[in-house]
This record gives sequence, C-alpha cells and structure tokens, in this order.
Amino acid sequence: MRLERGEISSSQLMFLISCFIQGGLYPSSLAYSISKHDTWLALIAAFIIGVFIVLIYIALANKFPGKNIIEINDLIYGPYFGKLVSLQYIYFFIISLSGYFWFIGDFVLTFIMPETPIIVIMTMFAFICAWAVRKGIEVIARLCVIFVFLPGIIILLTFALLLKNMEFTNFLPVFEVPLEDFIQSTNIIMHISVCEVLAFLMVIPYMNKPKQARRSVLLGIIGGGLILLTGTIRNIAALGPLSEIVTSPSLLAVSLINIGKIISRLEVLVSMAQILLLFIITSVFYYAAVLSVAQITKLQSYLPVVIPIGIIGIFLSLISYDSRMQFSYSTMYITPLLSMHIYIAIPLISLIVAKLRKLPQRNERN
Amino acid sequence: MLHYLIKKSKFLMLLSQNALERNKQEPSQDDQNTPANLSQSLKTNLDLIKGVIGNNYDVVIREFSFDRQRQVSASLIYLSGMTDPTIINESILKPLMFESRLSSDSAPKLDDIEMIRTTMLSVGEVSKSANIDEIVDSCLSGSTILLVNNCHEALMIMTADWKSRSVDEPKTESVVRGPREGFTENLLTNTTLLRRKIKNSDLTIESIKIGQRTKTSVNIAYIKGLANPLLIEEIKRRLNDIKTDSILESGYIEQFIEDAPFSIFSTVANTEKPDSAAAKILEGRAAILTDGSPFTLTIPMLLIESFQCSDDYYSRPYFVSFIRMIRYLAYAISILAPATYVALTTFHQELIPTALLFSMAAAQEGVPFPALVEAMGMGVVFEILREAGVRLPRPVGQAVSIVGALVIGQSAVTAGLIGAPMVIVVALTAVASFVVPAQTDSGGILRIFFVVLAGFLGGFGIMIGLIGLLIHLASLRSFGTPYLSPLAPLSVSDLKDSFIRAPLWAMITRPRTIGWHDLKRQEFRLKPSPPLEEDTQSK
Repeated sequence: MRLERGEISSSQLMFLISCFIQGGLYPSSLAYSISKHDTWLALIAAFIIGVFIVLIYIALANKFPGKNIIEINDLIYGPYFGKLVSLQYIYFFIISLSGYFWFIGDFVLTFIMPETPIIVIMTMFAFICAWAVRKGIEVIARLCVIFVFLPGIIILLTFALLLKNMEFTNFLPVFEVPLEDFIQSTNIIMHISVCEVLAFLMVIPYMNKPKQARRSVLLGIIGGGLILLTGTIRNIAALGPLSEIVTSPSLLAVSLINIGKIISRLEVLVSMAQILLLFIITSVFYYAAVLSVAQITKLQSYLPVVIPIGIIGIFLSLISYDSRMQFSYSTMYITPLLSMHIYIAIPLISLIVAKLRKLPQRNERN
Repeated sequence: MLHYLIKKSKFLMLLSQNALERNKQEPSQDDQNTPANLSQSLKTNLDLIKGVIGNNYDVVIREFSFDRQRQVSASLIYLSGMTDPTIINESILKPLMFESRLSSDSAPKLDDIEMIRTTMLSVGEVSKSANIDEIVDSCLSGSTILLVNNCHEALMIMTADWKSRSVDEPKTESVVRGPREGFTENLLTNTTLLRRKIKNSDLTIESIKIGQRTKTSVNIAYIKGLANPLLIEEIKRRLNDIKTDSILESGYIEQFIEDAPFSIFSTVANTEKPDSAAAKILEGRAAILTDGSPFTLTIPMLLIESFQCSDDYYSRPYFVSFIRMIRYLAYAISILAPATYVALTTFHQELIPTALLFSMAAAQEGVPFPALVEAMGMGVVFEILREAGVRLPRPVGQAVSIVGALVIGQSAVTAGLIGAPMVIVVALTAVASFVVPAQTDSGGILRIFFVVLAGFLGGFGIMIGLIGLLIHLASLRSFGTPYLSPLAPLSVSDLKDSFIRAPLWAMITRPRTIGWHDLKRQEFRLKPSPPLEEDTQSK
C-alpha cells in the first residue's frame, strides 16, 4: 500500500530542493544581527556542514529505497520504539509548518497588507497549500519547475542592478565577530535552510529513479545555495551595517534600485518571489506532516488528514507566537538548539543502528 | 471536508442507481431488438418497412417490374431530398428496366439478388442485408433500398447527396497567410479535406455511430504508427460509453469525453481549419470529426495550443515569436489587469509613481464607489455588450456599439459615476481578451475571480489566486498528457514551440508528451544555406 501514487523525476526533485533552499533568503536575515557582515561566511560554513548532514539523510533513504522515514523507523527500531522516534519527526514537521504559517502571515502583514488580521492571511495561505497537498507531490514538484526560475532570475537581476550601490568595503574586516557568535549564526542558517531538507525523507521514496536521489539533492542544494549566497552578498554589500537592523534586508536593498526612474520599486517582484518560495516550503512541510501522520496511523489515503493538520498548524502558530519579536527570538535562540537532535542526532543514530543491525540485507531476504 | 463526504455519498448513490437501471433495461432491450428479418414475399417486406417509415411525406416508394420473361416485381425505397435522383434514374432504374429487356434470352436470371448486384447496378457502394433495422437506418442516411420479389435480402445502394454549405473561409479562425478553406457541416467533405492534406496510407479514419436517436456518424482520424495506440483505444472507449439520445454538435462529444468536467479550462481542443487539424494529427494527436459540425475536436490538448495559431508556422519565425509573447501578455492582461488596478488603488497606493498617483487621484475624485464595485460593474457591462454584439442582427449592431462606447463609456465618466482610468483598464482588458480566442471563456471567469480576490486581499490575494490557478493547471491532464507540458513537467526541447517558435528546420522532434511514439519529424541539417565556394568553383 503506497500512500502517494504520483512519481517525481530526478530533475523535479532538484528544482524542488533548489526552491526550498532559495526560500531561506528571507528567514536567514535573522542571522544578520548575530554574525553581522560575516553572515555570508556563516552561510558558506552552514552549507558545507549541511551538505554532510544531508548526505546522512540520503544514505538513510538509499538504504531503504521506496520507504519513507516513518517506515524506516519502524524497520530500524522495531514497531514500538520506532513509533516514538517517528513522533519526533512528526513534531518537527508540524512545528516547522506552524512556524512557516506564522512567517508568511507576519511577512504579508509587515510589507503588503498592514491592517489585515493575521488569521485571514494564514487561512488563505493554508487553504492554497492544502489544495496543493491534496493534489499530491507530483503537482507540487511540477509547480517548482515554474517557480524556481523566477526568484533566481530576480536575485541575479537585482544583483546586477545594485552593483552601483554596492561597496565591497562593507565586508571588511573579515572574521570580526567572536567565534561563538559565528557558530550560532551558522547553526541558525543550517537550521533554516539546509537541514530542513529532512522533510524530503518523505518525498525521496516517491522518485521514479531512486538511485539518482543523491545527485539531484546535492545539485539542488548547490544551485539553491549559490542563489542564496548571491542574495546575502547583495544585501550586505548594498546595505552595509544597515542590514543588521532592518526587518527585511532583501526588500530594503532592492528598493534602493532606481535607474532613471524607469526601473524602480522592484521590491514588488521580490515579495512575489518570496511568497512563491514560502508556498513551496510550506507545502513540502505540510505534505511531510500529512503523509507521516497518515503513515503512522496506517490510513488508506492521506486525504482525510489534510484539513485537520492545516487547522492544527494554524492554531499552533497562533498559540506559539504573539509577536514578531517573540518569533525572531525563538527562531534565533530556541528552535535551532531544540530541534538539533532531530535533524542531526536521530538520523545519525538511525544510520548507525541500521549499519549495526545489517538491516537492508534482512529486508531483501524478506 | 463535509462537501467532500456529500460528494462521495452522492456519487455512490448514483452508481447504485445506474447499476439498477442497467439491470432493468438490459433484458427489455434484448426483447425489443430481436432483429426482424425480411421474408421471401415482396409485399410483406414492403409492409414491414412501411410500418416503420412509411407514413413520412419524404419517403418515396417506387414499384416496378423487370425481366420481360418472368416479370419480376421489385420496389425502390428512398428519401427524396437526401438522395441524388440522377443516380437513381440513370444507374438503378435504367439498367434494371431497359437494359434487362435488351439482353437476350441467355441473360442471367435476375431474381437472384447477388446477380443484380454484380451485373446490373452501376453504382459504387452497394451492400445487402436482411435485417430490417439496418435497412431502415441506411435508408435514413440516404441509401436507396432495392427490394426484389422472392428474395429475402435487400440491396442498400449508396445514393446519398444533399444540399450543404460549400467549403469557405471559417469565421472563427481567420488567418493572414495560409489556406482559406474550412470544414463544413458535411462529414464526407471534412474527411476529404483531411485526406487531401495527408496523402498517406497510414491516415486512418474510423467511424462509429453515437446517439441512440440521432445516430450521428463520428469519425476518429489519426495516423497509424504515430498516434499512441493507447490514446486511440481510450478515445474509442470513451466514445462508446456515450449512451445519450442525441449528438447535434461536436461540443456534445467534448463534454462527454473531457477529463476535467468541472474545470474552467477545456481539455479538448477544437478547430475549424483542415490545415491546423492536419498539423495536429501529424504531431501524433487524434481528431474527432462529427457529422453536422464544422468544429473538429483534437486530443490531447495542451494549454500552449491556445496560444498557437496556424499561420504562426507559415510566416518567418522572428515576428511570430514576438507575437507569441504578445499573446501570453495579452492573456495575462485580460485576466489580471482589472485585479491589479483594484489592488493598487485600494491597498498599495505606495507602488504607483507619485505623478501618476496624483492624476489618478484627481480622476477618481468624486467617484462614489470603491474600486472593486467599479471593476465588477464595468466588467459586467462589458460582458453584456459583448453578448449583445454576438446575438444581435447586423443592422442593430451599430446602435449597440454607439450606446456602449458613447453612453456607457463617455457619459458615465462625465457624470462622475466611474473614474476614467477604470474605463481605460476595462477597455484594454476587453481588447486583450480577444487575442486568445481559445481561452476567452476561461479568461472571463478568471477575471472576476481575481478582481474579487484583489478587492479583499490586495496583492497577496492576486498571488494566492495565481498559485491556486497554477496548482489547478498543473494537476490537469488531457487524455493522460499533462496539461501544462512542456513547461511543467519541463521538457526543454519542446520549448521550441511554446513561448517562441523555432524555425521549421530546427523543429526536428515532435512534442515529447504527444508524439513519443515516433519522435523524429525530419532529418537534421535541413538549415538552408548558399552553396560552398568549393562546390561552385568545381562546377
């Protein structure tokens, strides 16, 4: 019994992950206030460490082809303890989902619609995500192909248009921030962008050529990471110390563009791209949460849990966060540490236990 | 959720009802349809056929006798108006009545129906049958029935010929360059037009009859070896499943076989031009021609087909590529322009350049309604004018355009009911919506949908609507082919015929999602170039 009937190709997975990583540009602005103008170095460090962590996920997925993480946990830890581990993942997916629901609400509230109640925005957005999730991962992956180019082109275009405003002295002196701040910033960026690839452990099993998973995941991370790096360098170079203070360095940097009064107000494009990317990220988390809940409760189809999980996600975000300050604080200082064991420790332990128990071989014999 | 449950339960109820009805119907149908066969006696046979169609005013029953020695009596039954009298007179009656007398005594016995068929009739298509239903059906579609005494079979002689519109230029798809001929209401003419374009033995035209009362002939045309056999099988299955009483136009068939009946996008394309139907067949699609309709359906359909036009391929590629992009832009304008205007004036005034903002504010001053109401009102007025323009008789049309343009446009602005910028936006939208005729109906609905979203949620609402639209489009399939291909799923080589139109010599492969059965269209290296210098010198 497979919960998902659709299949995605390796190139679609690549675009999906690339979208996913690019979407981290706006949330990663939280790290600016900690690592200041060295954020781009923290970004590179986060990606280098992150790629190794992602390799653990892929190794885990490749050991059990065609099985999602919930099934893998059952195989590795046995049916009872495995469920306990799976609950950790479900917690992570739902917490991330609610975080992104809050995030989109807050983003729209701050920059687009200041007077609208946040629950209206979140409900509309959750509704659209639920629709995409109901249509299955195949549709989300197809949409990515359309979405991935738009934000990438916008970032490259704005980079070129902002060259006039950039001062590369803004990067000097390099490595000024204390090491602990740098590590903390690296962890935040890792948590926000690279390690959320964990959600793809629910997607990789539905590839039509599972052997190419490693290649497409890594290509996606590299492609998305380069765009993210371009965006970060653009923000720091164009804004300088200002980038540590403002809520959204990307929007502010782009709003500086004014070429002959013809090309201006490009921040509209940036916020459009941001909404598209946040939609992809939220949908993937939504999908992972829904699919894992359906898997653990052994449902025939995941469709009945789509709406309930959405409602839970919205209310969880309304309960968890009161204001933007609180959200920033918890994303900067609490969740990166709190969910560290989920995205580093548990996958690593799973991989080691699977190696020790020589599991895939026994699986073959069965 | 609740909606979903209700839908599901309704569906289940319908299923069980259908099963019951089918069980009830099947035995009774079997009783009625036991084929009544002809007997030996001419008189009984005539009475039998008269009993079915005899009391019609256009049925002609001509009784005569031939073969001087034995005086075999016979009769012809045909519908006047649907048959060609010259064929009946010259090729049926004349040989039977005169030439049989001229022949000598050694002539074959003509009471054998097979002998008449092989030796006497000089008509191309003659078949025989003993089944009354079959005979009556063929008579109703224009055949002449020959009944001979002492024969338990009848001859059905194809004499169909009736008045029909001649081949002329289609009104809906006019082109600047390219053939002017269009399909007509006559099925035979249409298949001939197709065959004249594709002179290939692999072009297969299969016929089935749909509609229990109208018995409409429907032809499926495709190229064997090029179209996917599974597609043809699926089309036939869906066509055979249509158990309705009448098919009057190909639109009936479209609604019975489409994949997404609740979608605002049609997943079956239609065309009135033989050249564009032939081009689609040559890409691996199948065409469905319906008797009585000049509109030919082609399946599967992709969204980008709506933005392609047959004279794109007859003109040179640069300008065509430019025009293609203009078409996409026009479609975007036709669905998004009023919504963007509403969002900008209601929520995001800061995005409008300051000078423009002042002039817009001046124009909007004193307008009593919010932008959403204005846009909806003008949108409805425009749709009313358009519909009136379509339905009204020609001479009245001018009056409508004067009322529309002057009274509603000009006077509404001067009276201060509507701001002038809104009139400009709606007029632009109206013109843009005619650029892509295949998507005019979906555009009209989407426009209202986006205006409402923009009125309540501004730019964010438009984004939500766009994402929703893309989710819907990405999930659509037309006979198994993804509707958004070659864009999603991405097929880079097929982008050559989407936003741009590559030169014809560069279009080496057929679209991957449709013509995958035989991908190669032409040879490489077809790019024209002047002869090399070495070649000319050697000559």
